[in-house]
Amino acid sequence: MKKAVIINLSPRKVGTSMMLANHCREFLLSRDYLVKITHLYPNLKDLSPLLAAINEAESIIMIGPCYINTYPADTVYLLEELEKNQNNLHGQCLYAVIQGGMPYVHTHESGLKMLELFAGENGLRYKGGFVIGMGAMLNGQPLSKLLNGKKAEKMFGHFLENVAKQENSPAVLYHEAQLKMPGLVYCIMAKIMNRKIEKERREKQGDQKKSPYENPGLDLRHNGKDRTIDCKR
Amino acid sequence: MRREENMITILSDYTRQEAGERLEQKLRERKIETELIAIADLYVDPCYSCGGCTNKTYGQCIHRDDVDIILPKLMRTDVLVMVTPVKWGSYSFKMKRIFDKCAVIGDRHYYCKNGELVKGKIGRVHTFVAIGVKAQWDDEEKRAFKNLVEENIKIMNIRGRAYLADDSNLSDCLETVAEGLSK
Repeated sequence: MKKAVIINLSPRKVGTSMMLANHCREFLLSRDYLVKITHLYPNLKDLSPLLAAINEAESIIMIGPCYINTYPADTVYLLEELEKNQNNLHGQCLYAVIQGGMPYVHTHESGLKMLELFAGENGLRYKGGFVIGMGAMLNGQPLSKLLNGKKAEKMFGHFLENVAKQENSPAVLYHEAQLKMPGLVYCIMAKIMNRKIEKERREKQGDQKKSPYENPGLDLRHNGKDRTIDCKR
Repeated sequence: MRREENMITILSDYTRQEAGERLEQKLRERKIETELIAIADLYVDPCYSCGGCTNKTYGQCIHRDDVDIILPKLMRTDVLVMVTPVKWGSYSFKMKRIFDKCAVIGDRHYYCKNGELVKGKIGRVHTFVAIGVKAQWDDEEKRAFKNLVEENIKIMNIRGRAYLADDSNLSDCLETVAEGLSK
């Protein structure tokens, strides 16, 4: 029986990355894999359980959100720790999945490239990745809820077939899955989303439009801790 | 001295060549108002995507760490320069932790540019310069880092560019950046 480990690179245990991780797990189980999902964030203080799971697996699938065009910072930390603990890396297949709010592939693709470069330097076999746009809008709901749900599901299914067969997964699959709409539609979408954002801001912040960080003497007291910002520091 | 609206802030992670400090000196020599934030000794927690900056303390992270020092400074800057060691075509771990939290002070609205959705600025930053530092580069990593920075610039809907520095070209690179920023 082949072993795979799915690493949830998201700080959230529910949400779109975990939905994709569960989808991937179910698929690989149906292909007679032994599959384990491990979470990065609860293991940040001690990565050894995560490193052990990677060591035991033949395939590693890293799934996470896109923060400012690539995976969150702590993915870099994980990769650095893996580089220091090379004994856990022995030519496993590495697949990458990244999901983010913008519908475009190019917005999120740098995350895949980072994992590809890491694999190349550290003796892993990078086999390809998948980009899911509008992941934030999904907020954990299944792929079928996307505007391009049918196509996204179908292409992600092809990607998972490649993962199960430990074959290369070409970029054309996620390019094919990208939602393609005329620019005018995006402009309308922007107006609708901005109305929602403004409504939310008014509800939470009232008429105060400035960021609290613009107030130099701001007293930031939360969570029982006292601290005043000294901007001259 | 430049006008206040052209304030430059250098966010600099540790580099053996002290690239951030050297750039600050070059900009100050040109009488450009510059602030250096050396991040090596600062501690910033991860963004936990908890939604606190929307649902509890709007526009502000609910966790107390050293972004309380960094973000107010970034709110006052017009040009953000990041000096970062490059790991697999991306920002250093410490730099990325800060960058992830910059979303808190980012404009949440969407705009349309060239038929695509984009987001808005971080604070009032209109120019973003990223200087990637490595002992030596290979071409694939150069392309990856440049592409990442270009995507950052695109999504923030601002101006800017990436510079790639190594041991052989660092001085020239910093001179070029300083020259470009002084125009």
